[in-house]
Amino acid sequence: MKEIRFEHVYKSYGKTEVVTDLNLTIQKGERLILLGPSGCGKSTTLRMIAGLEDVSSGAIYMDQQKVNHLPSGKRNVAMVFQNYALYPHMNVIDNITYGLRVQKVPADEIKRRTEAALDMLQLKEYKDRLPKDLSGGQRQRVALARAVVKQGDYFLLDEPLSNLDAQLRVSARKELVKIHEMYKQTLVYVTHDQVEAMTVADRIALMYKGKLQMVDTPDNVYHRPANIFTATFIGSPPMNVFNVDVQPDSIRFTSQTLKLSPEWSQHIQQTGEKDLAFGIRPEHIDLSKIPTPNSLKGHIKFVENHGNHYGVYMDIEGNEWIAMSESKRWLPHETVYIKPRADKIHMFNQQTTDSIGYPKSLNNGE
Amino acid sequence: MKTNRSVSIPWHMIFIGIIIILTFPIIFAVGISFKPLEDAYNNALNFIPTQPTLENYETFFNSLNVVKIVSNTFIIATTVTLFKVFTSFLAAYAFVFFDFKGKNMLYFLLISTIFIPFSVTMIPNYLMISDLGLADSVWGVILPQLADAVGILLLRQSMKTIPISLIEVARLDNLGHPRIMKNIVLPLVKPAVTSTGIWFFILSWNEYVWPVLILKTVDHYTLPLALQMYISSEGGTNFTVAMAVAVITMIIPLTLYLLFQKYIIGTFASSGIK
Amino acid sequence: MQAAKPAKIKFTADHWKAYGLLIPSLIIFILFMFWPFMYTIYLSFFDWNMVKPTKEFVGLQNYKEVLTDPTTYKVFGNTLLYIGLLLIINLIIPYILAFVLDIVLKRFNHLYKGAIFLPSVISLVVGSILFTWLLNPVSGPAAIILGWFGIDMPIWSKLDGWVIVVLSLITSWKVFGYNFIVLYASVNGISREVIEAARLDGVPLWKIFFHLVLPMSSATGIYVFIITIVQGLQYVFTPIKVITQGGPNYASSNAIYHAYHEAFVLYRTGHSAALSILTMAIFILLLILEFKFVERGIHYEN
Repeated sequence: MKEIRFEHVYKSYGKTEVVTDLNLTIQKGERLILLGPSGCGKSTTLRMIAGLEDVSSGAIYMDQQKVNHLPSGKRNVAMVFQNYALYPHMNVIDNITYGLRVQKVPADEIKRRTEAALDMLQLKEYKDRLPKDLSGGQRQRVALARAVVKQGDYFLLDEPLSNLDAQLRVSARKELVKIHEMYKQTLVYVTHDQVEAMTVADRIALMYKGKLQMVDTPDNVYHRPANIFTATFIGSPPMNVFNVDVQPDSIRFTSQTLKLSPEWSQHIQQTGEKDLAFGIRPEHIDLSKIPTPNSLKGHIKFVENHGNHYGVYMDIEGNEWIAMSESKRWLPHETVYIKPRADKIHMFNQQTTDSIGYPKSLNNGE
Repeated sequence: MKTNRSVSIPWHMIFIGIIIILTFPIIFAVGISFKPLEDAYNNALNFIPTQPTLENYETFFNSLNVVKIVSNTFIIATTVTLFKVFTSFLAAYAFVFFDFKGKNMLYFLLISTIFIPFSVTMIPNYLMISDLGLADSVWGVILPQLADAVGILLLRQSMKTIPISLIEVARLDNLGHPRIMKNIVLPLVKPAVTSTGIWFFILSWNEYVWPVLILKTVDHYTLPLALQMYISSEGGTNFTVAMAVAVITMIIPLTLYLLFQKYIIGTFASSGIK
Repeated sequence: MQAAKPAKIKFTADHWKAYGLLIPSLIIFILFMFWPFMYTIYLSFFDWNMVKPTKEFVGLQNYKEVLTDPTTYKVFGNTLLYIGLLLIINLIIPYILAFVLDIVLKRFNHLYKGAIFLPSVISLVVGSILFTWLLNPVSGPAAIILGWFGIDMPIWSKLDGWVIVVLSLITSWKVFGYNFIVLYASVNGISREVIEAARLDGVPLWKIFFHLVLPMSSATGIYVFIITIVQGLQYVFTPIKVITQGGPNYASSNAIYHAYHEAFVLYRTGHSAALSILTMAIFILLLILEFKFVERGIHYEN
């Protein structure tokens, strides 16, 4: 139940740098999700907390104590691995209690914790089975139970749900949140699945190519992305982002222009930024078959059925835009007029790819 | 895909023929060992004992201290096996679960010992064992054989299949290496340890070249050395006794093999695949 | 998921402990393998008889004597013949049989493997004694059967050439099964899809063997090749020692037995050491050549 702090942490294997200048504070008791695509350094970051990887330079503090050279076993960390790492030769109860017995926890205490965990995770009837006789979901719960009974200060999870099928994943992540609400350890959870991240996290730390991109609440990561990577990584289908020319009260795409709201024009003027990229999420675009004021003209390339809505892919002056619509009346090859909602747009610096922020009046937009 | 019978039947015949060539001498020896010398000599093709007798075995037991010889063989094979498995286990564990300077070089060095011919090391080893006063003793046979590169190779192969995360979970629980070895790695590589051990036992039981250099007194002999005494290039006047000794020599390895056949074949099949 | 990344550092900070775990094996290897190797090199420059308190430094004299002795050439010729026979019987034949059993026959493979491996667990002294009787040229079963066809069994233990053939066969009786199961496992490890795709394309079996199976199992093939030469020659030592003692007139001796003979029968340690070092040098050369020659193939496996 203690804080974890990274200060200028670097990690490299030989010449390849996998984590670059990581500065991050994980608050005590929070659920922090390390999110990012394959190879972004998120698992390495987690493993450095566990002490399973050395830190190349910089420092990690746990509970205000520098832990760079503290062995894994002394960090009071419980961890759930992607492959669950259950001991194949021990039954469920032995898997759960083995660590405690080695640590010489009193027998009645082991019993109390174990029974609570078995109850909570509905594993009672399986306690004498070997891992090979359990389903994937049951194995995952055993791994969870083993981590829970340890009652460590830190709870680390490395893609704990990625080997489960989609339905189980939903119930398993609810269970996970429930467990954490009970024990309130400092929880760090690695995943590449943004839905998991959005639903589980108190805060999301998004990583890309070894660099931390943004750390904030799920809402802010979604609605106030700090840079173009964050904006396009989170959300499916991804945000439309195109470079634009800034004019006094409008922005120009290749040839068409879009008038900005007074708030946005004022905000852009205040920041003094010139080369901007414009972003809008697919669900924040209104479509029309007839010309409407302040819209861009293009044609529909194809339409994807997503069940509860349709993804409409359009060609607008050679750029591919995606919009979401609940209506099925959009047909390929037809002309379409699109209108991004004025209060939902995003603006980024073309060079740095960082967000230029949002007009004050919109700041608490969500 | 189906194979044409006209192709498969001749090949099956070839396999059966090879198996007969390979196993017939064993059956033959067992049969002859229960025959009187005269019968065996006059009916050389008939290996079924028509008048079974134990006289060949009796001759052997009466002429040599068989209990001593068998126990010498047993002591050597057991000690050598236990040590080889132990040292190989430790070394394999180091090679699989640690990352240290010179790891590849050391591994290559150890494995290269497989390719050093016996003749290159025999004189110095013989001198060393003599200087240690261990000549003509079972300990002189045992001492140079307490480690084995093949064991390291086989156990390393097997340990490499253990997911590293199992070891990491244990590390997070503050388990030391001795505990990890004993409670996690050993149970998981038990089949490989068992078959490697059995293999070492069989090899040592059959060992001839090194003991024949070291052991001089008949009472210190192992079974293969005792058996050798019954060979003469003329075919021998007492070859039925020789067959009885041969049967005694091979009975332990054969029993072990028949009991643990699956393990042994599985482990050895993998030894060639690096 | 970052599974592909090599888990390079497994335990933090305590890598030095690995050396401790290696020490028992290293001590034995250094004491009884590496040091003796060096000492044998040293001995090859001295004239000594293992008993005399002093060794006389003679430089390359031992090598000169060994290399001018016709017996050496006879013994090395024998060694080549042994190698050739052992490779045919214990590499080529089991390779083909492993292919046939795995790809063509498929059935009874457990039974066949089990039976073929059986002699590998039996002492070569036992093998030597069994075959001395079975192949006894006067009264043994083989001689009697040949007699029915009017063929005289050669008195192989007294004949140049024949004696090597028979001793190689006896040794192969033990080695064959081990080599067979190792090769079988390697052939068996080749992806079935590759073989089946080739068969669907109507590729004949012999082409499947040479074009697919051989290159895809070549790492194991090389391993068996080396082991057959290096260990095969040492295995042959036993029947030589037990049956012929190298005779008649060195006709069955090989490089390893001859080194033994020089050291422990004639007490010429210098000659023996020089012979061993020459043998080792030839082995190493052979191994290097073989690695160079087939290196291309190694990458296919696994």
